[in-house]
Amino acid sequence: MREITENKEYPGFLLKCNEHLKLDSGKSISNFQIAYQTYGKLNEQKDNAILICHALTGDQFPAEESPITKKNGWWDLMVGPDRPIDTNKYFVICSNVLGGCVGTTGPNDINPETSKIYGLDFPTITIRDMVRVQKILIDELKINKLVSVIGGSMGAMQVLQWAATYPESVKSIISVAGSLKHSAQNIAFDEAGRQSIMLDPKWHNGQYLDKDDKPENGLSVARMIAHITYLSEKAFQNKFGRNLQEKKDLSFGFGIDFQVESYLRYQGRSFVDRFDANSYLYMTRAMDYFDVSEEIQKNKEEIINHEVRFLVLSFTSDWLFPTKESKEIVSLLNSIGSNVSFAEVVSDRGHDSFLLDEPQFFRVSEGFLKGIK
Amino acid sequence: MRSDYKIILDLIPENSKVLDIGCSDGELISLLAEKNISAQGVEINQERVISCLGKGLDVIHGDINLMVEDFPHNQFDYCILTQTIQAVQKPDVLLNTLKKVGKNIIVSFNNSARLSKVVKFLLSGSFDSLLKKSDSDQWYNTDYIHPCSIKDFRKLTLDLDLRIIGTYDVINQKKFTNDRIPSNLFCKEVLFHLTND
Repeated sequence: MREITENKEYPGFLLKCNEHLKLDSGKSISNFQIAYQTYGKLNEQKDNAILICHALTGDQFPAEESPITKKNGWWDLMVGPDRPIDTNKYFVICSNVLGGCVGTTGPNDINPETSKIYGLDFPTITIRDMVRVQKILIDELKINKLVSVIGGSMGAMQVLQWAATYPESVKSIISVAGSLKHSAQNIAFDEAGRQSIMLDPKWHNGQYLDKDDKPENGLSVARMIAHITYLSEKAFQNKFGRNLQEKKDLSFGFGIDFQVESYLRYQGRSFVDRFDANSYLYMTRAMDYFDVSEEIQKNKEEIINHEVRFLVLSFTSDWLFPTKESKEIVSLLNSIGSNVSFAEVVSDRGHDSFLLDEPQFFRVSEGFLKGIK
Repeated sequence: MRSDYKIILDLIPENSKVLDIGCSDGELISLLAEKNISAQGVEINQERVISCLGKGLDVIHGDINLMVEDFPHNQFDYCILTQTIQAVQKPDVLLNTLKKVGKNIIVSFNNSARLSKVVKFLLSGSFDSLLKKSDSDQWYNTDYIHPCSIKDFRKLTLDLDLRIIGTYDVINQKKFTNDRIPSNLFCKEVLFHLTND
């Protein structure tokens, strides 16, 4: 049984599913729910819908003011009235991913079988599992074909997974700063982040909520490591240089001397308030396991027959998901004979460019959407 | 419509797959699409890429000198290079790769050895006249780095083991017959249809 209700905890809606969902790991979950938000209006033909997939630390609130941060939504520049993804024209859907911590079922929810918090009993999930759940939502909204599925970073992984698994349900996809598979370097960074969480004694083997505790230091350091990978050498240099933080001389100690240290600590601290440590473990693991190349090869005929159109975008200074990896997506899509476009946007702000004010990026995306018939 | 596009549209059969290198704002791809020919473009200029995307065309943004190796082999029926070959860093390397990417290659270019150009060069004593593509071009800043003649190009096809199926005088919309080799001196713009078999 499935039921859509208002979401009482956050703005938006909940799709509650009283059923078993088999996951890639072989395990399954039951009684799961999907938290989502929509913008714009679904037309009568139900053919103006766009699905947005959020990145690792994103949520279902890309547009307008975020109820979580009270600042503009994470893709407010991209999604809204008269924005590249124009909500006057499109019905935009964004859901919190499976394993997330903003309303969709994740490791900090109650396990219906034990009536206890899942913790590490939550099954390991994959990007494909996240997309399966999104497909259930799209089906429940009675949408047969999405105009586009769009996302950056981990969102781009979901986007490619959509094209590979459900090519009949998408007219187009836009992969921003993504890759076919997580690189060894990216797995390495994820592992450093996870170890930082798991070595924090307050993590309590994942059962910290039972103990009314939180591995704040671990999660904060994980975020600091990750945040470095989202920027570029030049972005750090331009923003901070070697400037000192509210002092004229070095302290000859290990407190905060440099502005960049203060900035990183702030990034770590503020992340802890809005994100959950176990979700971080599960979601980084899902990214590590991601490799969609084989499935694209396997389903190439469906992808061609359904004439899925691909736009692959990268940023020059992104070293976490570099242009080279976007070009690998393009090569693979070319080799199966699909309709693919590619653009590389010049920016010196690193991986995070996809969340920032990059007019070229917006214009390319808008142009591509305009061409989707 | 550009004269070389007319010849190309006549030449390529329906339902072919085409790669247009240096596709600019996608005029040729749009024309091909009307004939039910699916074409993908390659373009270095981002504004032109955006313009192609807005028309619903498939386009890859990038520098052909750096990226042609990214294209999988035997994917296209035709690779097209109109007015581009002389701006490519290594025309021989590019053609050699295109040989693997597509069955047919169509190349059009302005014959740099035509009499009017040569005379202009002799009278002016300046290479600007030979290397000019647009008015602002000087010998030191031109994209036109490999001026070549019809004779030069025919020699290159021999060296690369490419077979010439047809040669066309673009301005006069005429196919040269075998016994009438295009004149190095008088033909302004030439189009070669090559194949890799």
